[in-house]
Amino acid sequence: MTERPTAQELAESILEFLGGEILPTITDPRLRFRVLVAMNALGIVYRELEALPAEDDAERRALVRQIRAGHVPPGTLRRVEADVEARLRIASPAFLDTYR
Amino acid sequence: MIAEMREALQPHLSAILGREVEPSEPVLLAGGASKEAWAVDACGERLLVRRAAGGVIHKHTLSLADEFEVLRAAHEAGVKVPRPYGYIADLGGREAFVMERLEGETIGRRIVRRDELAAARRVLPVQMAEELAKIHAVPLSRVPFLRETRVEGMVEELDEVGEPHPAIELGLWWLRENRPPARSAVVVHGDYRVGNLVVGERGLVGVLDWEFAHVDDPARDVAFSLVRAWRFGVPEKRLGGVGDVEPYLARYNELTGFDVRPEELDYWELAGNVAWAIGCLTQAQRHLTGQDRSVELAILGRLGVEVEYEICRLLERVAA
Repeated sequence: MTERPTAQELAESILEFLGGEILPTITDPRLRFRVLVAMNALGIVYRELEALPAEDDAERRALVRQIRAGHVPPGTLRRVEADVEARLRIASPAFLDTYR
Repeated sequence: MIAEMREALQPHLSAILGREVEPSEPVLLAGGASKEAWAVDACGERLLVRRAAGGVIHKHTLSLADEFEVLRAAHEAGVKVPRPYGYIADLGGREAFVMERLEGETIGRRIVRRDELAAARRVLPVQMAEELAKIHAVPLSRVPFLRETRVEGMVEELDEVGEPHPAIELGLWWLRENRPPARSAVVVHGDYRVGNLVVGERGLVGVLDWEFAHVDDPARDVAFSLVRAWRFGVPEKRLGGVGDVEPYLARYNELTGFDVRPEELDYWELAGNVAWAIGCLTQAQRHLTGQDRSVELAILGRLGVEVEYEICRLLERVAA
């Protein structure tokens, strides 16, 4: 497994937040009901993610070992950047715009 | 909780202030997962009580006792800091200290944006240099418990996390290969950035958050507020989102005689980014290990990739 927290772990943290911190503060019964429904939906996401196989990070681990050993051939930065950009498109796509 | 806190504080504040006091109702301030901050007034003094949060142990930060001692040393050296009042070994079962509660803005995103602080931002670069010069003049013998840290310490922290992050690894490799000649180590703040300052309309009011103080190359501190994440969404202003580096560096060098060169700042700016990229991972670990469950900590584990992107950009720049 790589990329922690995983999508499932993120869903879990939101469930905890909604259940532990938001729900107890809601007095409006309609809103309370809708938050419970949203938590149910997020629970489905959580369980569905559980069924997915873990991401294979063997290549990333190999690259890290190689750099740690001081083996940094030309093109290494490009390879690393491609990996970072792919992860950024998931985690924070708007961030790239701040570089213009 | 509030009534208990008030009751627990009363004898300590009386001892610290040297007279019987009736403290105001303590207010728990927002933010800070590892430390609590309580605002309380007593005898017309605006006080802030910094207390350890329950069950949190950080091996890479100072204890509150040591942090208080560093704050005292900085105060003695004339650094603009909240006045230190006293250390409390046991405040409801946890250690704490009492300091002055300064008035001003402490939220980085507001310091770099608020209209009323436009004039403050014009003088901040020079003021930040002046305070840093005073910090770096604190005698090592005054705070002998501070540990010397070098770049290698970051490798250790990364390995403790145990996740593969090639960009961080490449940054660490470059830092090992391109180390500038070592300077004599000094007392450094360790987290010297706009988000840890109190800023008023006339500029810098105080330097906060001394828990990362240690002994290190002074250029490390000088460059830390250049880290892009600490420009708080105003990336074109390289010094903390408030101004230019040149007047800051010139004033710092004038006061210290250290002659820190711009290329050293490039090196330490990269080092600061690597440190914060690892910091994001260790913050997420606090959530993942169950030490401190929070969405805010969890998401940092993913947002660290923004810092990794900046590391790549900086590596590209130094390679060119």
